[in-house]
Amino acid sequence: MIGLHDLSRHYGDLRAVDDVSLMIEAGSITSIVGTSGSGKSTLLRLVNRLIEPTSGHVTIDGKDVHGVPAPELRRRIGYVIQDHGLFPHWTVARNIATVPELLGWPKARIRDRVSELLTLLSLDPATIGPRFPHQLSGGQMQRVGVARALAAKPELLLMDEPFGALDPLLRGKAQDDLLAIQQTLGTTIILVTHDMAEAIRLSDKIAVMRAGKVEQYARPSEILSRPASDFVQDLVGEGERAFRYLSLIPLSQLVEPGEASGTPLSRNATAAEALNAMIWQNMEVLPLEDGGRVTRAALLRAGHP
Amino acid sequence: MRGLSAALLVVLVGAFLVEPTIFTPLLAPLTPEGAPVIYDRADILSLTLAHLALVAGAMIPATFVAVTLGIFVQSPAGASFLPLSRSLTGFGQTFPPVAVLALTVPILGFGTWPTLLALFLYGLLPVFENTVAGLTGLSPTVVEAAKAMGMTPRQRLWRVELPLAFPLILQGIRISTLVSLSTATIGSVVAAKGLGEIIVAGLTSQNLSFVAQGGLLVAALAVLLAKVFDLVDQRIRPNSASG
Repeated sequence: MIGLHDLSRHYGDLRAVDDVSLMIEAGSITSIVGTSGSGKSTLLRLVNRLIEPTSGHVTIDGKDVHGVPAPELRRRIGYVIQDHGLFPHWTVARNIATVPELLGWPKARIRDRVSELLTLLSLDPATIGPRFPHQLSGGQMQRVGVARALAAKPELLLMDEPFGALDPLLRGKAQDDLLAIQQTLGTTIILVTHDMAEAIRLSDKIAVMRAGKVEQYARPSEILSRPASDFVQDLVGEGERAFRYLSLIPLSQLVEPGEASGTPLSRNATAAEALNAMIWQNMEVLPLEDGGRVTRAALLRAGHP
Repeated sequence: MRGLSAALLVVLVGAFLVEPTIFTPLLAPLTPEGAPVIYDRADILSLTLAHLALVAGAMIPATFVAVTLGIFVQSPAGASFLPLSRSLTGFGQTFPPVAVLALTVPILGFGTWPTLLALFLYGLLPVFENTVAGLTGLSPTVVEAAKAMGMTPRQRLWRVELPLAFPLILQGIRISTLVSLSTATIGSVVAAKGLGEIIVAGLTSQNLSFVAQGGLLVAALAVLLAKVFDLVDQRIRPNSASG
């Protein structure tokens, strides 16, 4: 459990973060969403003390992190930034080894961990490991940044616009990878993004920030169905609300027994994807790959809470 | 081609240092009637070594002081000293080395010490300015990443900031060293051992051959030293190599 308690950070009269309290479940993904200047990145940096709070405190498993020297604390918390911030004078392998080296792990253990992580992020240790960052593509750099953050098995991973520099295709892939990795490792993740669709797709809970304050902190379905303010509603986007809501519903919830013709849908698809397929193929009903079917009427009914 | 010309220069300089008399036919036209063609009042090889030692003796402490000062004014504690340090090193650069010699001979006596001091002061500025530029020009995301990974300020400096600033610092050392290689010749007016001695002897005896020997030798050494710096520079940038 990560606790942010009455956190504030003021710069003169500007209240970048203003009395924010959030409890974050261990093993969950939480997104902090807001427009530029809403204080979301500042809030993230207060957690690993890249910025010290004006008042308030952060707890990890009930313990106040201010009792720990900042460098020591940061070695326990992974950190991923938009421009990856890889060290240009070090190879990929050395970059990933940064925190284990600081912690004084034995060489053999570091080497094993580096190739384990490269493999986990579908990068070949033998070819990518000895390269320098400038020899990588944008997507590879982003993955190396994630590997570096995960190297010392942190209990908490902070990500500041981690997919912001990727093109839409790579971004979707990177989001899938992150979900898969999170499911494998069970790491607690706090992610800052300005993209509500990304937050809805990835998160267990979303904190919407505006002018240094949290406007709403809730599950994605609740943010969509019961936005706490006009600002949250604007951020969700009135025009896409139903589709976003459908994107949260797994198709398995809407299956009914029976047969249908047409291209079968995957059971892992979302209701939004199923509706999209029906509209495009002009079908009232579509079969699922492993039996059963879904009707357009059921999808439309599911589209509002 | 460039490697070849450097190799040729090494051979020429080496030949001149070991056996200067083989250049007699070339230099004879510059020599007045009856005067010696090749400088013979001291061994040219030992003068060259003394000259290089003078440059090294000034540049090593100057580099150390200038880099340390550059790091210090980049730290939070030293930030307010930046303008003062700029003035001091700027003063060292603009104050003429000849004037340094004139002012310090009464205190330090004739010989090596006043020359070392003059070269030391003259060499501070380029190294200092390049250290400051190298450290301020670092990518903010890289510096933040180093901090966020849990490096202490000292670890950040040694593992990330200095290595990344080093190519620029090296350029500063290169400029200072090459300038002091030629400036060191003035040390001979206060009897510091070095190649200036040959030039000064040529001027006082109106022997153009001496002046040419001293001058060309210093120039050739400067070209070779620049080449050495280039090689080091290529070595420390593995990540800028093509591939």
